Amino acid sequence: MAPEGKSPRLPEAGQWPDRVAPAALVAGIVLTTVGFLMAFLWVPPVGGASVGGAELIGDAMVSQKLLLSQKIFYFHMPVAITSFIALVFGAWYSLRFLRTREARYDTCARIALEITLLFIALTMITGEMWTRFEWGVWWSWEPRLTTYLVLMLVVIAYFVLRGSVDEPERRAAFSAVVAIIAFIDAPICFMVTRLIPSSIHPVVLREGGMSPEMGLCVAVVAAGMLCVAFALYRARFRQVRLAQRVEALKEELGD
Amino acid sequence: MAEREKQERARRSDAPASPRSELCARPSALEQYRVLLMKDLRQELRTKEMLVSMGIYALLVIVVFGVALSFARPGADFLEVSGGLLWALVVFTSLLGLNRSFSHETENGCLEGLLLAPLDRGVVFLAKATSNLAFLAIVEVIAVPLYWVFFSSFAAPAASAPLIVVPLLLGSVGIAGIGTLLSTITASTRGKDVMLALLFVPVVFPLLYACVSATTAALAGGVLMEEAFATSLALAAGYDVVMLLASWVLYDFVVS
Repeated sequence: MAPEGKSPRLPEAGQWPDRVAPAALVAGIVLTTVGFLMAFLWVPPVGGASVGGAELIGDAMVSQKLLLSQKIFYFHMPVAITSFIALVFGAWYSLRFLRTREARYDTCARIALEITLLFIALTMITGEMWTRFEWGVWWSWEPRLTTYLVLMLVVIAYFVLRGSVDEPERRAAFSAVVAIIAFIDAPICFMVTRLIPSSIHPVVLREGGMSPEMGLCVAVVAAGMLCVAFALYRARFRQVRLAQRVEALKEELGD
Repeated sequence: MAEREKQERARRSDAPASPRSELCARPSALEQYRVLLMKDLRQELRTKEMLVSMGIYALLVIVVFGVALSFARPGADFLEVSGGLLWALVVFTSLLGLNRSFSHETENGCLEGLLLAPLDRGVVFLAKATSNLAFLAIVEVIAVPLYWVFFSSFAAPAASAPLIVVPLLLGSVGIAGIGTLLSTITASTRGKDVMLALLFVPVVFPLLYACVSATTAALAGGVLMEEAFATSLALAAGYDVVMLLASWVLYDFVVS
């Protein structure tokens, strides 16, 4: 009973969510695979068009390519949703850190933002592919693209900032503030780029509205991606926390 | 410039009238704010370090623009670019100023002294943001006419051009607010100049977008003016309110 006095200060790891994480990973893999198959085999192409197996020439070839390139939408949008949800968690943990000053929440926020960066990168990659095929350019200053670019830059700056502050206490406070600012900035950025009626920049207009099949497919993939993100988060969290625990134990033994 | 000095003199003259004699009484928040603001302004007026470097930097940016545009054909199209160029000038100059504004606080341990004093952190933030805004405004008062002198030969702006004062003001308020928070953060990091730019540019992006839109609308006039000016200004003002509130609240965590 005597050494109990010190143990609460050790960084703890391996709570119940770690046991759920492998199951979440499997579920995520299954769901995204199902979504992948659904996207290509079950969901009809947009606008009721059909992709014929026949080899068509010229104009028709292009439209066929377009119809297939649209399939990336079923990954692009869920990945984007996941990245934003991860950012929400990052900001939430940052807020909790600022309130409680517990190092645990700082680690949580940092890892949530790592997941955010990963999924933002995936969003940008899938988005770029789509932009290239649908609009024929690598980049356009469209509201969603712009918002994600800005968001990505802030999250990268977050990690650069973390790298350039040595004191753990101060680093945690600074990065928590930046995470919250990033979370506030992203919606404003979207609104600003969306709402300003602009004959200065061409705004690419697309009609919204998904058919029920499309919606279902997106939902399945989004659920899968969220499971994957959760499993990744827990795995990384466990790894970082255990490393911190080892450090703490070493220090304790050194005394 | 002269007007500001007059204001300052007026403030100085009524300073002794304030209740300083009661040593036990804590000075009011307004008094604290005024003392902090005057400290920054006085320091700047004596050294003129920041204003000179910002002013010359603004002129240099204009020279670079001159080179960049030297092969552009003069025409009405230029008005659509000029708003953006003007804001590039403002952003780069303000980055320089923000970097400077905290460097002399950290140099001699002034920040520690400031924090040891029983001051409300929100007051510190407001004073610092106001002094940054003042410097930025002075530089803009010099730089915008210069910009006009150098580039008015390209195309004559529309009649609504003087209205660019409104987006300039809204933009400067936002830049000073969020910039003060971010420069406080980066003042104590390694490689702080780069760090500030890394954080500042993406965070201020929405404000910049709205202000460029409003400025371009004012310069080009016509349909653009009717369509975009009011919306852009409303969005810029919204950004200012949200970000100033957020910075004000979060400042406490940054300096403690």
